[in-house]
Amino acid sequence: MLFNFCEKLNSRKFLVTAEVSPPKGTRFSDILEDARQIKGIVDAINVTDNQCSIMHMSSLAFSKLLLDEGHEPIMQLTCRDRNRIGLQSDLLGAYALGIRNICLMTGDYPTCGDHPGSKPVYDLDSVQLLQLVRKLDSGIDFAGNKLDGGTSFCAGAVSGIDPEKTLQLIKLEKKVKCGADFIQTQAVYDIGMFEKFAEAVNYLEVPIIAGLIPLKSVGMAEFMNKNISGIHVPEEIILRIKDASSPMEEGLLIASETIKELKKISRGVHIMPIGSQRYTPKLISMAGISEK
Amino acid sequence: MIITSAKPFEEILDMLKGEDDIFIVGCNVCAAKLKTGGEPEVLNMCRNLEKSGKHVVGWALPTASCSIRSFESLVEKNDKINEASCILVMGCGSGVSAIASVVDLPVYGSNNTISLGGSTGGELLLNLCVMCGDCTISKYGGLCPKAQCPKALLNGPCGGAVNGMCEVNREKNCVWSLIYDHLKKINRLDLLYITHAPLEHGVN
Repeated sequence: MLFNFCEKLNSRKFLVTAEVSPPKGTRFSDILEDARQIKGIVDAINVTDNQCSIMHMSSLAFSKLLLDEGHEPIMQLTCRDRNRIGLQSDLLGAYALGIRNICLMTGDYPTCGDHPGSKPVYDLDSVQLLQLVRKLDSGIDFAGNKLDGGTSFCAGAVSGIDPEKTLQLIKLEKKVKCGADFIQTQAVYDIGMFEKFAEAVNYLEVPIIAGLIPLKSVGMAEFMNKNISGIHVPEEIILRIKDASSPMEEGLLIASETIKELKKISRGVHIMPIGSQRYTPKLISMAGISEK
Repeated sequence: MIITSAKPFEEILDMLKGEDDIFIVGCNVCAAKLKTGGEPEVLNMCRNLEKSGKHVVGWALPTASCSIRSFESLVEKNDKINEASCILVMGCGSGVSAIASVVDLPVYGSNNTISLGGSTGGELLLNLCVMCGDCTISKYGGLCPKAQCPKALLNGPCGGAVNGMCEVNREKNCVWSLIYDHLKKINRLDLLYITHAPLEHGVN
């Protein structure tokens, strides 16, 4: 790669990021193999931090494994499992190991996952975690002590995309004011809604990378509409999946059309396929954004 | 008000295995209000323990089991406590602790202590305050996110609420949506733009 992710953020390139989950266990070869399919096709790969509160290998360790394979990882870090001491020591460790991109978020509550009785930490929230990172970047820790070598992170955050949700928009403004370098969003299915959102937050002047989860079935769309905050799959898209001979293929086609639209109004797309990266190269090629 | 719930009687019996000559201390404030330690509940406990073959030497109902002057003050209420070989407190965790600090006997608690809450219009309200020692509730229109948001988020909601209901409990309103509604009513939405620093634990 000629540029790292941070340099690309500052370029005019339409960005493509993807997402992988570390293994549930110590065997990581299959997931590295899966990630290999998108090497050189995407600009960076998010590594989830115990997503849905289901215990996995740490995002720090798996980000390092990706780095060693020549990928550009974005280490996700949530506020759920570590207090400010743990967060800072992991951030220093990640930086020392060569990890430069991070994406910070609150984190799902433990009861969503497979260790429902574990203690939720949330010592900081995502806004305060961004402030913490900016302190480490300036060579001091969160308590104001001088560091022997600081960090220089490219730090992102996440956001929903409903322009009607004032509280979410205010929180996004706080994240940007506290130094977010980029924003990755909840999955977009309703281009009109995203367009209004992009307009509403245009004044923040932060690169917005629109989320994308290719649909696989009508059930999946209906489940997300009912249960996932901020996701709105329009009825006409559900009908297209319903009428398709291959819902999976139709889902990819819809996603590729969405990417083409998003190319006009966002800085990039963040592809979060459920399961493997098998169809990501095809999707990127269908959307016509594969050329570097 | 400290919110308590009564432990199942079987659990209490199991706890008291090997104990006899029990003296019961109720609590005439929060636990009485919640029917987990007022006079009717204490009398009921006496009956049930006797029925299960335990000897109850007596009982007392101080104003608040968490506010006890001395062991003598309990003796003044009922000197049968001198014959007891253990105490069962029907109050909150503070009540059990306060009693334990003035008696030299094993002390047991019959309740689970749930939260600092209250009630309005007959409805029980849980987790209204976490007693953090650094109150900023007025910055949120009088509703505390440290207490009422399961993630204690100080700068706005997480992305998990659906239709104003909490990610953690879909039956419960997201406190951030209540804060928004309240601040809108009192024309103070400007407060939402404050960036709050994290709570300093252990300092207060």
